[in-house]
Amino acid sequence: MAYHSFLLEPISCHAWNKDRTQIALCPNNHEVHIYRKDGAKWSKVHELKEHNGQVTGIDWAPESNRLVTCGTDRNAYVWTLKGNVWKPTLVILRINRAARCVKWSPKENKFAVGSGSRLISICYFEQENDWWVCKHIKKPIRSTVLSLDWHPNNVLLAAGSCDFKCRIFSAYIKEVEERPSPTPWGSKMPFGELMFESSSSCGWVHSICFSASGARVAWVSHDSTLCLADANKKMAVTSLCTETLPLLAVTFITENSLVAAGHDCCPMLFTYEESQGALTFGGKLDVPKQSSQRGLTARERFQNLDKKASSDTANATLDTLHKNSIRHISVLAGGKANCSQFCTTGMDGGMSIWDVKSLESALKDLKIK
Amino acid sequence: DGCRRGDALRAFHTAMRSCPAHSRSAAGKEQAQGTMLKVLTSFKSSEIEQAVNSLDRNGVDLLMKYIYKGFEKPTENSSAILLQWHEKALAVGGLGSIVRVLTARKTV
Repeated sequence: MAYHSFLLEPISCHAWNKDRTQIALCPNNHEVHIYRKDGAKWSKVHELKEHNGQVTGIDWAPESNRLVTCGTDRNAYVWTLKGNVWKPTLVILRINRAARCVKWSPKENKFAVGSGSRLISICYFEQENDWWVCKHIKKPIRSTVLSLDWHPNNVLLAAGSCDFKCRIFSAYIKEVEERPSPTPWGSKMPFGELMFESSSSCGWVHSICFSASGARVAWVSHDSTLCLADANKKMAVTSLCTETLPLLAVTFITENSLVAAGHDCCPMLFTYEESQGALTFGGKLDVPKQSSQRGLTARERFQNLDKKASSDTANATLDTLHKNSIRHISVLAGGKANCSQFCTTGMDGGMSIWDVKSLESALKDLKIK
Repeated sequence: DGCRRGDALRAFHTAMRSCPAHSRSAAGKEQAQGTMLKVLTSFKSSEIEQAVNSLDRNGVDLLMKYIYKGFEKPTENSSAILLQWHEKALAVGGLGSIVRVLTARKTV
């Protein structure tokens, strides 16, 4: 595990370039900073200043090398590298609340922005007018859209919202693509069509993720649950009530395994057993340092009993790598089908890179299916 | 004494099963809360762990909801025994079960 402390403030969001040599992140303000790996060090190479509000989402298109950012100033910008300068292009989202998340589509010809305006803006480039236009998906979203993920077919979009639901919409834009072929989520996909809607959990849906094949979608909610819908099982939903604090980010690392992290400050493994239709907790992925446990004197025992009604050596410090909540997870290598490396950033201003093979050998009971 | 312990456990499971989470009547909920509180306070400290372990995940979540409801209206001795129930339920359900008490839309 490689941990780098970038800031003393939270990292609001991050995105990696294609070859993973550069990371773009928002240091909890109106800017985006890009760092480049120089051997073992990270050097800041660019500062992108255009937003008038906190940057809430960043996505880096691997093939076209364009950045898209969105913020609480209700705007999104597409950034293109001209020489050694990133040049922004404003995209009018037509929203009257903060933008909260943004994702490029797999083919990078569209991007989706979730916002507090209770809608999703699907943006695409109109050649004749040489600008970005957007279409809105509104019904039946009742609250802020917190998270988005595209299906590999470039058309279906999963959205997690503060109205406690996970939904899959069609974001088909006839101007930029062919009609999509049928998927296990349905065959008719006109723009805005609701293909799937989960029944209400009891928490805001913080993060949502399609599996590599697109046949499964998983999401984490503020009521400390992890849910998965399987299109190959008639969209049956499996949930797991976790014993942890709410999870804020989730990603598939194989078709059956998920890594999620959140307010417990450490990534955790979950496994989907297709035959039983069940989700199980597979273990914490943070290998705690062996702290020296010195024994308690009798006096200390009584003091603990008096103060805390317990004689345990309660931990006042965190054992985990991240010292505060983890907000985002990204897959670095191997894709969502066979992830070999993933990255976490959090409220402690730190970024950690996790190697799946090393985790498997370090944690003997870990089984990634 | 073994007979009494069995009765308490049986009463516990019966009270858990007749949970009024789906009913909207305040009176019905009050009654169920009262019954549950009586059952929980009738347990001996040493019997609590066994009762908690006999529950499934949903049961532990439901128990946690009743425990917090019990905290809301403390009687003379209720808080002490409820705290013991809380400790055992927490050991099984983790912080997640408390989070679900806070986020639940349907209360007990």
